[in-house]
Amino acid sequence: MTSTSTRRRHVLDLDDFSQAEITEVIETTASMKEVLGRSIKQVPALRSKTVVNMFFEESTRTRISFELAAKALSANVVTMSAKGSSVEKGESLLDTMRTLQALGADLIVMRHGEAGAPYYLAEHFNGSVINAGDGRHAHPTQALLDLFTIHERLGQIEGLKVVIVGDILHSRVARSNIWGLTIMGAQVTLCAPPTLLGPPGFWLATWPSLIITSDLAAALAGADVVMTLRLQNERQQAGLLPSLREYSRLFGISAARMALAAPHAIVMHPGPINEGVEIMPDVASSAQSVITDQVTNGVAVRMALLYRLAGG
Amino acid sequence: MRYFIKNANIIDPARRIATIGNILIEHGLVAQVFDMADFGMPSEPDQGIEVIDARGSIVAPGFIDLHAHLREPGDEHKETIATAGQAAARGGFTTICAMPDTTPATDTAGAARQLADTARRQSVVKVAPIGAVTAGRKGSQLAELAELAEAGCVALSEAGRTIADAALMRNALSYAAMLGLPLLAHCEDARLTNGWAMHEGAVSTRLGLPGFPSSAEETIIARDIALAESVGAHLHICNVSTSGGVALIRAAKERGLRVTAEVTPHHLTLSERWVLGSLAQWTALPRTPPAESKKRKRGKKSEPGLGLPSWLDPSLLPPYDASTRVNPPLRAEEDVEALIEGLRDGTIDAIASGHSPQSMVEKNVEYRLAAPGISALETALALVLTLVHRGEIDLLDMVAKLTEGPASVLGRAPATLRPGSAADIVIFDPEQSWMVDPREFVSLGHNTPLTGQKLKGQVMLTMVAGEIAYRRGSFGVGTGVLRQASKLEGILEE
Repeated sequence: MTSTSTRRRHVLDLDDFSQAEITEVIETTASMKEVLGRSIKQVPALRSKTVVNMFFEESTRTRISFELAAKALSANVVTMSAKGSSVEKGESLLDTMRTLQALGADLIVMRHGEAGAPYYLAEHFNGSVINAGDGRHAHPTQALLDLFTIHERLGQIEGLKVVIVGDILHSRVARSNIWGLTIMGAQVTLCAPPTLLGPPGFWLATWPSLIITSDLAAALAGADVVMTLRLQNERQQAGLLPSLREYSRLFGISAARMALAAPHAIVMHPGPINEGVEIMPDVASSAQSVITDQVTNGVAVRMALLYRLAGG
Repeated sequence: MRYFIKNANIIDPARRIATIGNILIEHGLVAQVFDMADFGMPSEPDQGIEVIDARGSIVAPGFIDLHAHLREPGDEHKETIATAGQAAARGGFTTICAMPDTTPATDTAGAARQLADTARRQSVVKVAPIGAVTAGRKGSQLAELAELAEAGCVALSEAGRTIADAALMRNALSYAAMLGLPLLAHCEDARLTNGWAMHEGAVSTRLGLPGFPSSAEETIIARDIALAESVGAHLHICNVSTSGGVALIRAAKERGLRVTAEVTPHHLTLSERWVLGSLAQWTALPRTPPAESKKRKRGKKSEPGLGLPSWLDPSLLPPYDASTRVNPPLRAEEDVEALIEGLRDGTIDAIASGHSPQSMVEKNVEYRLAAPGISALETALALVLTLVHRGEIDLLDMVAKLTEGPASVLGRAPATLRPGSAADIVIFDPEQSWMVDPREFVSLGHNTPLTGQKLKGQVMLTMVAGEIAYRRGSFGVGTGVLRQASKLEGILEE
């Protein structure tokens, strides 16, 4: 694990980031966003570096976002999509990594269905690893782009009241955001039915400052940020919910619900959206929604991280 | 061969004695035991006897392991009967019970006889076969249990699986009762553990790993106790891991039921925090920066009264290290405390290694996909001795849980050093420090979370039926007076 004093080698989660380092990343992201606004959207910071995107799970926005970010920094980018786990494929992750290493990869961006896979990769790979999402565990670049977007819109993170609503138990986005927001001094509330959350004590053991509730109205009262999460259809099939209809009625973010939050409140979603389930279409496209800003900022944040690990 | 073990710190739990004395071994049996107060004690034995000087070490009956996976036949790349036997001897075990989850399973009299026969020829320790409960361990039809008993199986078990069908389980218990054999039950409701990676709790929540809830173990323990009671069978709970499980077993014993239980050395000493590995340093906000947390750890190490060379330190491992994946999973610290309490108050009868060797092919993968299991025979004693060194349990009781306890689960006469009993003996030095390096294991399974840990307690010599099965270096040689040595040798030694 790296601290701010030594150069960071990997981005695996936000749990080893300090407040100072997150602030630095937000500042660098702003510069990168400025680059993306130019007519020539490219700087030579990562020229001659090879970035490999290794996606073991389907992803459109994260994969394209990383590709654009690496290209904007003039890196050589290769993307490999391999569905299924190493075991199912009969090829081990270790073997795949060794092949990429032999081919000269400097940095691997990995999306993987199994929690912890990036740690395993980082343990054996000579270069840098960026976690682009591992199982239910972490999605640090998503959390950093969320932090950047909050900061951009509201001018601060410390002291804000942030509510994360939805399938928190299975969400890597939620976990990384809990780390990032807590480190930055926000007050985080988790709101979900107990089947999508688990016992509160399991969360409080690691993050004692969390507020945990299944009462959405109470959670939303005075909130500055409402973070919604995707609800996958298979949760209902697994018996975790009676029906999507009832779930939406209890936990869907509607305009009426948003009225409970602070007037300046923003609403976020990591995508892809199930409109009409976790968030209503009118809210998703309202002035309070920053969902498309999140996507745009994602490229700049990933540029900032690639530069932090491999640039200069 | 005849042996004379002298200066022995004898611990014989079956007779509740701890004394210093000498032991004479002849014809595979303990011939005589002389304690210090015995005026007839010969200080110099006759010619032709090898003297083993055990000064500073404990001499105890050999350990009996109720739960080891030997992997042969079928998975000889993970372990063989021969290598498991060597590992057992190195760990101080003189008898190991072989779980039937081989390929094919030990589910017929023929398979059990073949296992026993191979063990007689290839293993340096005694191997007792355990018969499968159902054909092929498929949980649908009973194996020919009476024939398994006739073939010498000492117990019945489905090994690592729970029979989901309660009616079939009850029938199996009825049969076990008729045969007078204990049924060794692995307790796991597979519907509750579907896709599990580790214990469900604070750490699985932080790491985003699917959990194995405690209730998946507790519900089956409760079910099996009720079923065993209804047919009057002897139910033995394999590697109990939860505080709720301990409470259920305690209550069953209080009601006078024939329920026994075992626990592994790793469940007694390691917790879910081991899956965090180096992340274990940062468990809660507000976090201390790495430099400070290191300082704090050093401070902790020098805490008085714990007498350990060092703490068992999960942060030597990287996060998500597959060596920590075991079934049942390493549990919460409250569970570890409840297991120690259960051991102390007699709820738990035995410590069993749960030896589960895996090859690197099965372990060098993503955490949840790694085969569960810890190669445990060679670290078992030192790991449970950490409890003795911390003052959690006394040495005599600990030795009892490795000898008398498992013997009574099998319905055998207690393992003892009484004259006339088989000379199955272990000599260990409880104070000797060593660092775990799996490359030094004789087991083919190098899968251990303890790599690099400093442990205290080393087996020096293991004797099976009066013959030396394992000797560490030249332990006990030379310091004693060898009667057959020439006079010249005595002079040269001066």
